[in-house]
Formats: sequence, structure tokens, C-alpha cells
Amino acid sequence: MKVGMVCPYSFDVPGGVQFHVRDLTEYLLGLGHEVEVLAPADDDLDLPAYLTSSGRAVPVRYNGSVARLTFGPVTSARTTRWLEQGDFDVVHIHEPVTPSVSVLTLWATDAPVVATFHTSNLRSRAMQAAYPLLRPSLEKIVGRIAVSEAARRTVTSHLGGDAVVIPNGVCVDDFARAEARDEWRGTPSAPTLAFLGRIDEPRKGLPVISAAMERILRDRPRARLLIAGPGDVAAARERMSPQVGAACTFLGLISDEDKAALFASVDAYVAPHTGGESFGIVLVEAMAAGAPVVASDLAAFTAVLDGQANGRLFTTGDPDSCAAAVLGLLGDDAERARLRSAGQQRARRYDWPVVAAQILAVYETVTQTADAAADVEETGLWSRIVRPRRRSEGGRG
Amino acid sequence: MMETITWVALALVGFVLLAWYLTYSAARLDRLHAKVEGSLAALDAQVIRRAESALELGTSGLLDPATSLLLVDAASHSLERAGAERAGERHGSDLLHGQTFSGREAAESNLTEAFSVALTAETLADVRVRGGVAAEEVLGRIEATALRVQLARRFHNQAVTEVQRVRRKGTVRLFRLAGRAPLPETVEFDDEVRYQA
Repeated sequence: MKVGMVCPYSFDVPGGVQFHVRDLTEYLLGLGHEVEVLAPADDDLDLPAYLTSSGRAVPVRYNGSVARLTFGPVTSARTTRWLEQGDFDVVHIHEPVTPSVSVLTLWATDAPVVATFHTSNLRSRAMQAAYPLLRPSLEKIVGRIAVSEAARRTVTSHLGGDAVVIPNGVCVDDFARAEARDEWRGTPSAPTLAFLGRIDEPRKGLPVISAAMERILRDRPRARLLIAGPGDVAAARERMSPQVGAACTFLGLISDEDKAALFASVDAYVAPHTGGESFGIVLVEAMAAGAPVVASDLAAFTAVLDGQANGRLFTTGDPDSCAAAVLGLLGDDAERARLRSAGQQRARRYDWPVVAAQILAVYETVTQTADAAADVEETGLWSRIVRPRRRSEGGRG
Repeated sequence: MMETITWVALALVGFVLLAWYLTYSAARLDRLHAKVEGSLAALDAQVIRRAESALELGTSGLLDPATSLLLVDAASHSLERAGAERAGERHGSDLLHGQTFSGREAAESNLTEAFSVALTAETLADVRVRGGVAAEEVLGRIEATALRVQLARRFHNQAVTEVQRVRRKGTVRLFRLAGRAPLPETVEFDDEVRYQA
């Protein structure tokens, strides 16, 4: 199948949508499909063969955070050319209402469209103002995918209608293969916890786990918190009390291999996010590598963990609740062992072979619909206008 | 005199704009109707494939006779209804014609239920042991077709709501832009096969 994949965010910077597009594309290429990607990227960078740059991205404030997007006449022309040259069976657009190549492609394409909605926080003000303009384009979408129930609710309330939920994929085997490293491994007296995410982005919850560490250290004075993620370390340390600061190790931005090894080593992975999470792919990665997960009870996280069946949940934003959950888990070896294996089982349903098969089923259904619709349109407008009358006369006769 | 010309010119511009808008809306509505017919055809095809995969398992001899009978009964009922639609179409009644599922919903809910009741964990394990690779293939086909029925129905209902929304608009109703095309309805049946533990 010839698939044209469109990603609105710059491929030069890491991000959930970009990783999803990259991994899905590479997986489908591996299966023998023809896939091409259109995304903003610096032209002079080494780009993968499947990627066409829609132009250099500019940082723009949109939907509450800074995103790197492209737009304007050059991008528009490149999009049209890409669509013409690609002659795709299906065009798969990610985040179709982002003011970037996504919306331009939606505008320009004649191919059947599949759209994936990743976000759970569309800004409704912008949406409502732009809607009459976007409506006819949005009607080109034949198959809508939401990456989580939260994202699906956003689609339902802002756009109306429905979407099928197909989660983000994870290369489960890469994480399952990871081996623990001694420097990160905990001991019964000095357990280790992991935190991942930008350290100066409060939504990722570092303040919550820092406050919780005060209580955790009272019970487990030699506990360590391993913090992986970019940001200003000095400023982050300043916001912590001295004891907590001493118990923390800042690893900075780490590679995928290091991330997997970190998950495989620690006694628990803590996800203290306070909001804005639509899916929680990092929880799946942690489970795949065998880390027991302690997470805030956001809807997205509750869904990924299937309640308490595959992890421990605590009240979002509440350090006491967080500390209690972590201490409970650290004191229960059997439960940690159970969560390690339950998590690895659970992660399988987010494995690429499973997820990609569902996405391919969507492509098939959508092309089938488009083919049948094209047959209908070929019969011509006139014959369709007069046909119902002929039929009712036949009914009388 | 000048005033009259201005008014006539304005009226003419208004008329052209209205004509353009009505043509545009009619074309848009037409495209949406075609999409609904397309998605219903896709749903129809997937429903038939699902019933065929049920029939395949039911007649494979891998199941016990009672379970076989249950599955075959539900599957053939679904196929009969689909067949009746086709026969009707040939005779010009064209019940399908892209707008409703003409009462086939009950047969499909019934087949979904038959799957859920028949494919218990025990049965599945038993079938896998006895059937080997062939059983894996049939069970895989059932899972794949059941997923496609779900997708096709969701996408169809999405297309139906789009048509319904546009047809509620005042201009569309006032100028009868939908012509004689019947208003499509969403297709509602239980399509979630629950494999029992």
C-alpha cells in the first residue's frame, strides 16, 4: 500500500508525535509497504530517505506551548507537489487541526484521509472560530483515530462524531531486552526510584515527587531518586530541600538504551504528572522494561495501567498520597515482582506488530470506503437525482 | 437612474454569490452522500467477511457440535440477510442504496453474541490444540474481520452524522439541496466480541 504520512511538528526535535510517525513509518516499510513522510525539517540536515521536508520550522506559540511548525505559500506548494508525486492510496495525517503541514495537506488532498488525534487539550476558542472554515476539509477524513480515550473525548466534544481508539506503539522488545546496571540498581536498604521528563516543566511533576521524597526519606533514609530529563539542574536543586537534593542524581537527557536500562534497574518508576497527558507512552516503556510503575491517577494513566492491575495509582498532585504509594510498594517484594511480570504482559498490547495491524486495518477500511464512494460518484449527479423517482414509480407499478 | 443601476448591480452580485454558495453546498452534500454510500458498502463487505469466517470455523469440525451449530446458525442468518439485500437490489427495490442497514442490525448483534458465547478460553485452547496452524489461521481471521466490522461501522456512523449535520442547515432545507435522497441513519449493533476468560 502507498501511504503518505504527514507530521505537523519538526522532525529535528524529539516529541511523542514525531517518534510515533517515525516508528510507524519504519515498521510499515519493514512490512514492505511504500511510505513517505512529509514534515517540517531543516533541509541541510541528514534526513531519512522516506522524509520530505515541508520547509524549515519556526517556533510558534500554539495551544499553550511552543511548537515548531511550518506554514505559508512555500510549504503549501511543497505539500501539493508531494501529494502529486506520491499518488498515495491513503494519506495519514497526524494532528489534522494543527496550523502546519497537516491542515495544508488536508486542504489539498484528494486521496482518502486517515487522521490521528494525539492531543487531549485542543483549545476550544481557536477551534470554534476556525471551524466553519475547517469543516469542509475535515469532512475529507474517512477514518478518525484517537490515541487514547482522553483524546477521543476531545475529538467528540470539539469536532463531534466519533473516533476509534488505537494506542501509540512501543518497540516492546527493545525495552524487554534491556539489562539492569549496577549503578542504578537498588538494594533492600537503599532502593532506587526513577523520574523521567523535563525537570523545569511542572506538569511533568518533579515538584510532587520532590515533596514526596521528604516523607520517603524519613522511612527509607538511603533511598535514591534518579532523574532523567533535560532542564536547568542548578535551579531544580535549589527548589529542593538539602536532604532531598542529596538523594537525587541528575542524569540529564539520556539515550533510548540508557532509558531502558534505567527502567530495568530501578525498584519503581514514578510518574507524578499533574495533567496534559493524553496517553502516557513512557508508562508503557517502563512496563516493557519491567519497572513497577507508580503513577498519578490521570485518566490516561489509569487507562494504560488498567486501574491498579498493572501498577499503583495515587491522587494526582498529592505528595503524601505519592509517598504512601511508593513506600507501600517498596515494602512489598512480592507485589513488586507481580507488577514486573504483569507490566511486561500489559505492554505487549502496545507492541508495534499489534498496533500497526490495527492501523493497517483502518487503511484497508478507508480505501474500501473511498473506492465504493468513487463508484457512486462516477454514476453521475444527474442519474442519482432522477433515480429515486424512477424507483418509486416502479414501486407503484 | 444611477441609483437603480447600483441596486440592480448589487442584486446581481448577491444573486451570483447565492448561486455559487448553493452550488458549492450541493456539491459538498453530494460528496458526503457518496461517502456514506461508500462506507456502507465497506461495512456490508466486512460484515459478510465476518460471517464467512464464523461459518468457516463452525464447519471446520474443530468445535463441538453444539457450539458449531450455534455459530453456523448465527453466521448463516447474517449471510441470508445480506443475500436478501442483494436479491432485492437486482429487482430494483435497492433497499441498501447507501442509506440504511435495513434491519440487518439484529442479525449482526446476534452473531457478535454467538462469538462471545462460543469462543470461551477453554474452547479456544481446545481448538488450538486440535487444529494447529489451520486453527490459528481461522481464529486470526475471525479476530481480523471482527476488528474491521468495528472500524467500518464507526467510520460509517461518522459519515452519517456529517450528512445529518449539513442537512439540518437552514439553507440546505430551504432550497431542498438534498433533493430526494433519503436521510441516512446510523447503524447500531453490538460489534464488540468479548472473549471470555
